[in-house]
Amino acid sequence: MTVRRKWAVIPGLFALGAVAVLLSAYQGATSRPDTIITEKGSWGYSAASSPQGRSPEQPIHFPHPTHVQTLGMNCLYCHYAANKSTDPGLPAVSTCMGCHLVIGPKRPAMNGRPAFESAEITKLQKYWNEKKPIPWVRIHHVPDYVNFPHMTHVNAGVTCQTCHGQVQKMTQVYQYASLNMGWCINCHVGNVNPAWKARYDCSVCHY
Amino acid sequence: MATVVSPSREASPNIPSANIQLPAIQSYTQVNDDIIGTLRPTGKWFAALGFAILCMLIGATAWTWQIYMGLGVAGYTPPVMWGVYIVTFVFWVGIGHAGTLISAILYLFRAGFRTTIYRCAEAMTVFAVMTAGLFPILHLGRPWKFFYLIPYPNWRLIWPQFKSPLVWDVFAILTYLTVSATFLYIGLVPDLAAMRDRETHPVRKRLYSVLSLGWRNSDREWRHFARAYLFLAAFSTPLVLSVHSVVSFDFAMSLVPGWHATLFAPYFVAGAIFSGIGMVFTIIIPIRRWFNLKRYVTINHLDAAAKLCLFTSLVVGTAYLMEFFIGWYSGSEIEQSYWWNRVYGQWWWAAWIMLLCNCVLPLTLFSQKLRRNTTWLFILSMFINLGMWFERFVIFEPSLAHEFEPWQWTAYAPTYIDWAILLGSFGWFSMWFLLFIKNLPVIAIAEVKEIVPPPLSTPQPVEGIDVSGMHLEFEPETPGERD
Amino acid sequence: MTENSAPSGVGRREFLKILGAGSAATAAIGCSSDRVERLIPYLTQPDETVPGVSNYYASTCRECSVGCGVLLETRDGRTFKLEGNPDHPLNRGALCARGQASVQGLYNPDRYRGPMIRKNGKLTPATWTEALQLMGQKLGEAQSSGGAGNAVFINKHESGSFPAFLDRWLADFGMPAHLSYDALADHAVIAANRQSYGVAWPSLSFSAAKLIVSIGADFLETWGASVPQQLDFADARAKLEDAPRFVYIGPRRSLTGCNADQWVACKPGSELAIARALAGGSVQSAADASGVPAATLEALQRELGATKPSLVLAGSSGAGSMELALAVNELNKQLGNVGTTVLTDQPITSLEGIATDADINAAVEKMRAGQVPFLMVRGVNPAFTMPRAAKVADALAKVPFKVSFSSYPDETSELCDLVLPDHHPIESWGDAQPMNDVISLQQPGMDPVYDTRQTADVLIDLAKGNQRTAARYTAQNYMRWLIDNFPGGTTAFTAGLQKGIGSGSIARPAARPASTGAPQAPAIEGTNGDFYLVVYPSPTLGDGSGANKPWLQELPDPVTKICWQTWIEINQQTARKLGIDSGDVLQIKTEQGELKAPAYVYMGIQENTVAVAFGQGHSAYGRYAMGVGLNPGDVLPVGFDAASGSFAWTATKVQLTKVNEFTPLVTTEGSARQHGRGIARSVPVEELPHLEMEQEEHDMPGKPDQSYLPGLRSRMAADAMGEIGDSPSRVQKGMYDPEHWSQMAKRRWAMTIDLARCTGCSACVTACYAENNLPTVGAPYQMVHTAFLHGVPGGNILKGREMNWIRLERYWEGGEDGGEFEPRFVPMLCQHCGNAPCEPVCPVYATYHSPDGLNVQVYNRCVGTRYCSNNCPYKVRYFNWFGYGEPARPQYAWPERMSWQLNPDVTVRGKGVMEKCTFCVQRIREAEHRAKAEGREVRPNEFTTSCAQACPSRAIIFGDAADEEWSVARMAQDRRAYHVFHEQLNTYPAVVYLQKVTHPAPKAAAGA
Repeated sequence: MTVRRKWAVIPGLFALGAVAVLLSAYQGATSRPDTIITEKGSWGYSAASSPQGRSPEQPIHFPHPTHVQTLGMNCLYCHYAANKSTDPGLPAVSTCMGCHLVIGPKRPAMNGRPAFESAEITKLQKYWNEKKPIPWVRIHHVPDYVNFPHMTHVNAGVTCQTCHGQVQKMTQVYQYASLNMGWCINCHVGNVNPAWKARYDCSVCHY
Repeated sequence: MATVVSPSREASPNIPSANIQLPAIQSYTQVNDDIIGTLRPTGKWFAALGFAILCMLIGATAWTWQIYMGLGVAGYTPPVMWGVYIVTFVFWVGIGHAGTLISAILYLFRAGFRTTIYRCAEAMTVFAVMTAGLFPILHLGRPWKFFYLIPYPNWRLIWPQFKSPLVWDVFAILTYLTVSATFLYIGLVPDLAAMRDRETHPVRKRLYSVLSLGWRNSDREWRHFARAYLFLAAFSTPLVLSVHSVVSFDFAMSLVPGWHATLFAPYFVAGAIFSGIGMVFTIIIPIRRWFNLKRYVTINHLDAAAKLCLFTSLVVGTAYLMEFFIGWYSGSEIEQSYWWNRVYGQWWWAAWIMLLCNCVLPLTLFSQKLRRNTTWLFILSMFINLGMWFERFVIFEPSLAHEFEPWQWTAYAPTYIDWAILLGSFGWFSMWFLLFIKNLPVIAIAEVKEIVPPPLSTPQPVEGIDVSGMHLEFEPETPGERD
Repeated sequence: MTENSAPSGVGRREFLKILGAGSAATAAIGCSSDRVERLIPYLTQPDETVPGVSNYYASTCRECSVGCGVLLETRDGRTFKLEGNPDHPLNRGALCARGQASVQGLYNPDRYRGPMIRKNGKLTPATWTEALQLMGQKLGEAQSSGGAGNAVFINKHESGSFPAFLDRWLADFGMPAHLSYDALADHAVIAANRQSYGVAWPSLSFSAAKLIVSIGADFLETWGASVPQQLDFADARAKLEDAPRFVYIGPRRSLTGCNADQWVACKPGSELAIARALAGGSVQSAADASGVPAATLEALQRELGATKPSLVLAGSSGAGSMELALAVNELNKQLGNVGTTVLTDQPITSLEGIATDADINAAVEKMRAGQVPFLMVRGVNPAFTMPRAAKVADALAKVPFKVSFSSYPDETSELCDLVLPDHHPIESWGDAQPMNDVISLQQPGMDPVYDTRQTADVLIDLAKGNQRTAARYTAQNYMRWLIDNFPGGTTAFTAGLQKGIGSGSIARPAARPASTGAPQAPAIEGTNGDFYLVVYPSPTLGDGSGANKPWLQELPDPVTKICWQTWIEINQQTARKLGIDSGDVLQIKTEQGELKAPAYVYMGIQENTVAVAFGQGHSAYGRYAMGVGLNPGDVLPVGFDAASGSFAWTATKVQLTKVNEFTPLVTTEGSARQHGRGIARSVPVEELPHLEMEQEEHDMPGKPDQSYLPGLRSRMAADAMGEIGDSPSRVQKGMYDPEHWSQMAKRRWAMTIDLARCTGCSACVTACYAENNLPTVGAPYQMVHTAFLHGVPGGNILKGREMNWIRLERYWEGGEDGGEFEPRFVPMLCQHCGNAPCEPVCPVYATYHSPDGLNVQVYNRCVGTRYCSNNCPYKVRYFNWFGYGEPARPQYAWPERMSWQLNPDVTVRGKGVMEKCTFCVQRIREAEHRAKAEGREVRPNEFTTSCAQACPSRAIIFGDAADEEWSVARMAQDRRAYHVFHEQLNTYPAVVYLQKVTHPAPKAAAGA
């Protein structure tokens, strides 16, 4: 008897495994990051996309909220190529200095906030004086065999937040989307917004 | 008192091979002693096992190197994109078939001569399929991505291409492996029980008792066992046909000249059974000699098996001729030029090896003398193995090397990597088989007991048994055997 | 640019990853980019370069002397592709294979990283300060010692301002004018043209002619301005009925000869007699001299007399070649061709002012005599291009101080004491004058890859450093100098840069008196030996300068289809007699030396002649050139056609012996016969009018006017959009339903290839290598860990593993018995079948049919079962047998800096995946994205594939067959159109071939 029960367990295990696979399979397409992994250094490139929820420390602690929410700057001001190239483009240091020549590290008291000395702006000016580019750490990485044309998406009315999350609220930017293929397809078939329905055969992105 | 029939010993005795009795077997205990007695490991056995493992390691090393460097280290010469690996894959799958045929189909047909050889054949099936299963992965450009072929829900949201025969290959091989392994195991249960009861070593005893699923030899268990066995036999019978048909679709479904033929499914199945029986001879003849099992695997059994071999050989031969006929009959210049190239082109010798080994030499089995000559059977079986490997070679390589586009006609020569991996596959197969013959009974104890008459109520002297009791007088050798 | 290109560039594409030290490299680019920005781009917004968007800088190709216009496609500070400049009058957007490969010279892994100084017998790296200081000091010595007067400067021939500038500089240092060397130039013809027409090279109008007779003039290869000549020749052939008949007379049927309708085999050295006969001289004597049947010559003579206008060309290189050229010029005058087909009023001026071989030889002799104290060499390699018998190395050894401005460690620069590596043309400023009143401007596409300097700038610096000359060199650098001396000044210059073309003319250096007393080569008949030896420059490697570019090494010779090797061509019948088979090693022997190479049995060569291509057999010049093939120069005597001073390549007979060895030919050819399978079809011109277009041939899937054919109705195409079954028409037409929301109804990418135009030059093949990151697999270092083939050049190709997505198949028709034979060229690439056999067999959907009619290969999905290739009847799928893209692997195809050339839009394929022609899907997507961004449809003929763009015959046309606006849709309806294997296999290919049209000899002649 005991023997028979022992053997009866095995198919049960198989069934459980199958169910687990089924459940895990689609979570990538829809899930939102639950944990924010803060790690130092840059993402070691591999064939896979960068992991969701990743939030590496940047050489300069650039506060998106201050620039976007408080000052109301447009994303395209710095990421100037996002609407005309596959590459979004990162701001040149000169772009930063355009303002920060005037806005120095010494920040006066402003609506309630006491005056303070900004270490970040100091760093920025240091880079500028040394004529060095800022070695930003890459956050969003898709494999090399994926072609993601930013301009096509931006011009189609897909907001930056759709894929990058509420960056304007992120004091330290993290990877909002999973960037796996199911996630892309999910939007291309029109599940996110029927108006954004687009071709989703392989050769649209893979060539 | 009835007369004692004793077989005549003329030059060519006319002994009906239908007689598959085991005259030399006295009692059930003798069966247990003889068969379980073979399980004691010997030095020779360890040597053989060591050699097999060495060969396997050579193959494994070659494969590692191939994965590291890329498939280019093998002899592929585009457009010959499938080489020795696919040839060997089909070869091993084919080997497997005889096992299932003997153990399942012949069981349903109540062909008695299977009794003593089916266990070996079945084990051979399982190990052959295990070997064959490696090759499709081996020949992938990116073996680490082989799971793309398995349909499972994934977050890429894509599935395999179910139109492709290769996907069905995966299913076919896995099914075949599962079913034949189960079949082998179920058949083993009573024997395992017998071994458990005789075993003294505690660990092994425990192991056998777990494996024998607490078999207690009750009538109820026997009834269930018989049903289960019959059911599995019926279940695996279609597999004999389906598996190799699916494998043949890999080729028949493509438009390559020489592949694109409706004949392929039956042709492959026949070839598979033929090659399988060849391999059975290769395996069973040494075993019955070394393990001194001649009294069980009698010459009559081999004789009957040889007839089956002859028959399948004729089927295969017909298929060959048919291929050439269709090649001519199609009227397509491209087909015809291919068939011409097959026999007179760069690989003419391979084609002729195939015809000689698979069609000509087996004809000798028309002679009873040779059918009953184990030495010849063994030699012939070697030729059959060779011939069947070359059959696949001849089907695949010349076709790919001589396709539609003349500009891309080419030659193909395997490299030492191909050969090393081929050797490795034999090592891998032999390793499992050697482990099998020293750990599990090579002859189905229970079934042998079925054809040995039950112990008589009163003890009798050996000689002068009633003929109706089907007991011939004791002879160490079965009559009519020459070797 | 640094700031924005670097991080977004890194990792976005494989190519930067391969680059390895990403940060360092991108930093290097960073510095470059601001300079790049200051250039005035050709297409996109001038003030700013956008990351990920290419800029095109108009420049000039410097691979040969002609100077075609090119566009340097540059992105993120890197030039990665050369394309023909459509606005350039000379090449009108076309570019030959050698031009395409120039970018591999730029990133060549064996380039000098910086200046080199010979220290105790070895060239050792040095800084520019050291090098210039040494150079200045030596110059000073030369001036003070008065040796300057005997100094020699040998420069690669180029037209434009530099020669004049150089001569002026030399004069300022008291040195004689430089020698402008071009080993490929046909000096005999140039001299004759000067004498007859007063110009070096009149442009030739093939399209105006009705009959073309070429006596050994390979105008599609290295004879004159090949690209413009090919463009015009193809246009002429495309006139079908009115196309000129083309007769080629010569000992060897070259690529040009293979495009002829009739080939007349003559003995080398007998061309003059034939020319005389054609001009009305004695046919019989010509027949005796040349071994050509008198009847043939008479027929030709008659035909030539009857057909007007005609065009007769000559190009032999042996004793008396100038005489021949003169005779032919006379013949042209006599036939009234001058002005109609020989346009002396619009000459190719870039061939003016070339120093003859005799001049170079004279200079070498001076060196040997020890009269030359100071030698400067730039861009040429006399130690290789001159025959070994000239003993250039010994002569150079007699020169106390030798300076090389070469960028590569070639045979000559390895002998020099100081190397001041020059910029690659893609990195330098300059100009050329290919035609009168046309200035072709040359501008850098990017910053220097290595620590090199443009020679002109070096010269200026040296002059500034020298107190005597400093005053006269005020220009900040050569670019400023150019602008200052540019006709029209800065404004004209900047305007010109937009299109790369300026107008006006540039001061040419004073013509130098041709040197005299060059050793006259004996008549070839006189020399002893049993076979004539014909040495011809390789169409792919030129004078050997292409040998260090793997693309050109891997590009099979258009005629023999052999690469990475040197072979000896021998006549089929002769070979049969001598029991020689292709691959048997032959030995040819002269007094000068011997040469052992495998035989190539060829129908297109005269019975008593053997031919060897020149260009291989380097003893230096980098990993791709060294130890590959042999140099026929080793067996040639030093002899010249004294009249013109041109070196006699065809100068001697040889002893031919069969060595008992076998060397397999590294060829891409399987069977050279079609076996009646109708792959390359041709139709005689007289049958052309009756040619019926078979409707079934024209079923181009996706055309709106026809019911949708299997490939496009295939569920797979619909599957791709998951659109199956929500409406009947959707089910019927899949993606091609006009109501389909994705608006793909119109799209059916297709291609037509006009075999009447195709000359088999193979420029498309190299263009594909350049565009699609195809790895070259034949380099000796790539053949390792492989039994029997270790280190064999082209070993992988012996195994049939070349990766040419588009290949040129060359089939022979007839001639098995030594009679007339017809060569046919057919470019074979993925046919993008509407009903593709490869698609249903892939177990993982790695290949499928895209809605716009592409047969797509998805690299990252491919597991490498290779079933698709088995099932492809055209055999156009290629497999990555090794990790060609992995720097750690010995087969790595893009060593150090070569990877900078990779196209960022195309994935570099990994080990173990299948790849094939994509119809340049990256260009399709780019165009679609551009159109979308501008809110419009893709315009007809807005873009094309790389092969079509490069084709100097304009034979390939790509576009949307479903849209009548695209020219491909019209071409597909041509009466000559056919599909390959369509009848047998029902594949519905998207590639439509147009039959070649042959022009047999007129009946009268044929009867003779």
